[in-house]
Amino acid sequence: MITIKNLVKRYGTHCALDHVDLHVDKGIILGLLGPNGAGKTTLVSILNGLTDFQEGTVEIFGLELDKEPRAIRRRSSFIPQSLALYDNLTVIENLRFFAGIQKISGQCLRDTLDSALSVNRLHSMLDQKAGTLSGGQKRRLNIAIGLLNNPEILYFDEPTAGIDPELRNDILETIRCFKEQGKTVIYTSHYMPEIEKICDEVAIIDHGRIIRQGPLATLLQEEKGGSAIIELLPASEKKLQQLVDHHDDVERVDATTLIMHRHNGQKMGRILSALESEGFAIRQIRYGTQNLEALFLRLTSPERDHA
Amino acid sequence: MLKAMLIKEIILLWRDKQALAALFVMPAIFILIMSIALKDTLSPDRVLLTYAVVDQDNTAESSMLRNFLHENRAMAEQEVTIISAAQGQELLNGTVHFILTISEGFSRHLAGEQDLPPEGPPRLQVVAAPEVKAEMLTLVQAELAKAVLRLRIQTMRKELTPFLPELARKLEKIDFEGKELVSVRFSGMEAGLQPTSTQQSVPSWIIFGMFFVIIPMSTVFINERRQNTLMRMSAMNISVPTLFTGKIAPYLVINQIQVWLMIGVGLFLVPLFGGDALTLGDSLPGLFMVSLGLSLAAIGTSVLIAVLAGTVEQATTVGGIINILMGAIGGIMVPKSYMPPAMQNLANLSPMSWGLEGFLDIFVRGRGAEAVITESLALTGFGIGLLLVAGIIFRSQRGRTA
Repeated sequence: MITIKNLVKRYGTHCALDHVDLHVDKGIILGLLGPNGAGKTTLVSILNGLTDFQEGTVEIFGLELDKEPRAIRRRSSFIPQSLALYDNLTVIENLRFFAGIQKISGQCLRDTLDSALSVNRLHSMLDQKAGTLSGGQKRRLNIAIGLLNNPEILYFDEPTAGIDPELRNDILETIRCFKEQGKTVIYTSHYMPEIEKICDEVAIIDHGRIIRQGPLATLLQEEKGGSAIIELLPASEKKLQQLVDHHDDVERVDATTLIMHRHNGQKMGRILSALESEGFAIRQIRYGTQNLEALFLRLTSPERDHA
Repeated sequence: MLKAMLIKEIILLWRDKQALAALFVMPAIFILIMSIALKDTLSPDRVLLTYAVVDQDNTAESSMLRNFLHENRAMAEQEVTIISAAQGQELLNGTVHFILTISEGFSRHLAGEQDLPPEGPPRLQVVAAPEVKAEMLTLVQAELAKAVLRLRIQTMRKELTPFLPELARKLEKIDFEGKELVSVRFSGMEAGLQPTSTQQSVPSWIIFGMFFVIIPMSTVFINERRQNTLMRMSAMNISVPTLFTGKIAPYLVINQIQVWLMIGVGLFLVPLFGGDALTLGDSLPGLFMVSLGLSLAAIGTSVLIAVLAGTVEQATTVGGIINILMGAIGGIMVPKSYMPPAMQNLANLSPMSWGLEGFLDIFVRGRGAEAVITESLALTGFGIGLLLVAGIIFRSQRGRTA
């Protein structure tokens, strides 16, 4: 469905995407993970024809993006992180406007409006101005607008940023429904549990490169033995580095975070004693369930060290 | 697609009360106030000069001279008694524009009596306040010369009547005002009619109001950019030209509504408050051409400012200042005819001035569409030029394909 080969995007001398290769099959949910500035937004912008690129090829629906961007955009939809809607228009006015500019009218408009409203449970607030909706209702309207053209590919850019857990689950369920309808979803997020919950595949991007891609289960298997993340209260970085240097399978992620690979009780006991004797205070230890997070942190940790 | 954009812009404008006030209420109030405030400025009955008379001659002739001067409605004699030079000086400090002294012997001088001393001060002396313009004094001098001529001819007529009654009758019929020989009328107007303050005010404040589309346009545009609705529209296949057309079309309509509403204010509302009703001229095509050109110029300016500004506050502040400056130098606030030549040349740089000249051609000078082609083309070119620049900047800001 989406095939990217050798994609390069530069802003002046800064290389935002550095020979990116990526393949996304039809009907899956792909989680696009990466630290801030890794190139996620640039990649999604390019896939939506919003940003040009210097090298490489992008094929979507078997069409070349740089030759037929309009045909591709007609069959896909981008749901931005910011609430891209008009606060001074009502829910129905917002939907009608965005349908109108996509030339959706007549019975098709009625059907698509009904579907978008049902999926997002907005029927009861049609005549309410968007500016007066709650944060969650605005998010749902933001998604409903993206569904108007009945897209085959949906791009979600951090759709759950800054919302409460209940609404987050609600939105994740909605997105999972899209997969059941045969749609392809590209999902960017910082929340690892979300990715683990809904994504079939994951692509981790860092420094403009895809550093790992594959089915979630396969990637997690690579973290054999599991990892543990030890979060500390702020203390001397120099002392922490010296301590890490004396322990195998322990890496420093940043000034207050350590990862222990292939942990067991003995190794954990040793590192905790060492931390205690050096005066470090432990905030929390997370085991096992954060495997994706551990993988993500391990793969992207050199960048953090430099930062 | 355009229909959706048109409806959206109109709904957003309708719900923006401040923008509505700037676009419709502000120019309407300006038209009302300025038409009424300046009504007397253009009236033929307006008194330009006030004066006092010191009549030392105190004869029938001096009295008649004063009566002749009274016939000129541009000058009004103040009933004051001057008994000293100091008192006269005091009067010139704000009460009257000049003092006319009719010296003793004026009537005898008219009669041509030979026993008058050959030297001495002139029989009529005018002392003007320093702020009185030279051309006004020329008017006074001409009025006095005319009055003296009438007195002389009257004296001659009396003397000739017993001997040449026919010639005396002819002298009696002399038309000193030149009404039989000279016809004076304003271009594009019937004799007896003259431009009114409403005709001057309506075009000026229509133009000023039209340029205030900067407020709703920039507010919506910058909010769209901030909230990423512009990006979303791009992802929905809206190209930059389509996006701009979607902005231009609604505001062309809104500007035309402004023009006709303000004309309605001039036609119906101003007379209700005692002002003169607007007369439209005879060229609707000309009016349409100028208003369309003005609209494009206003929209071009607004879009460029909206593209360049980072925030709504920046856009509305900068836009407001630019509007006021263009209005000030363009003859909107102070008519160009009141400006010195250098300022008049500067005024020609303002597109508001081009539009004003076009409107005045239609409303005041009664000219047709052919007379406003230059102004209309200049305004249209200016507007399209700014839109192109805005488009290029906008495209480069987004660095997008397609």
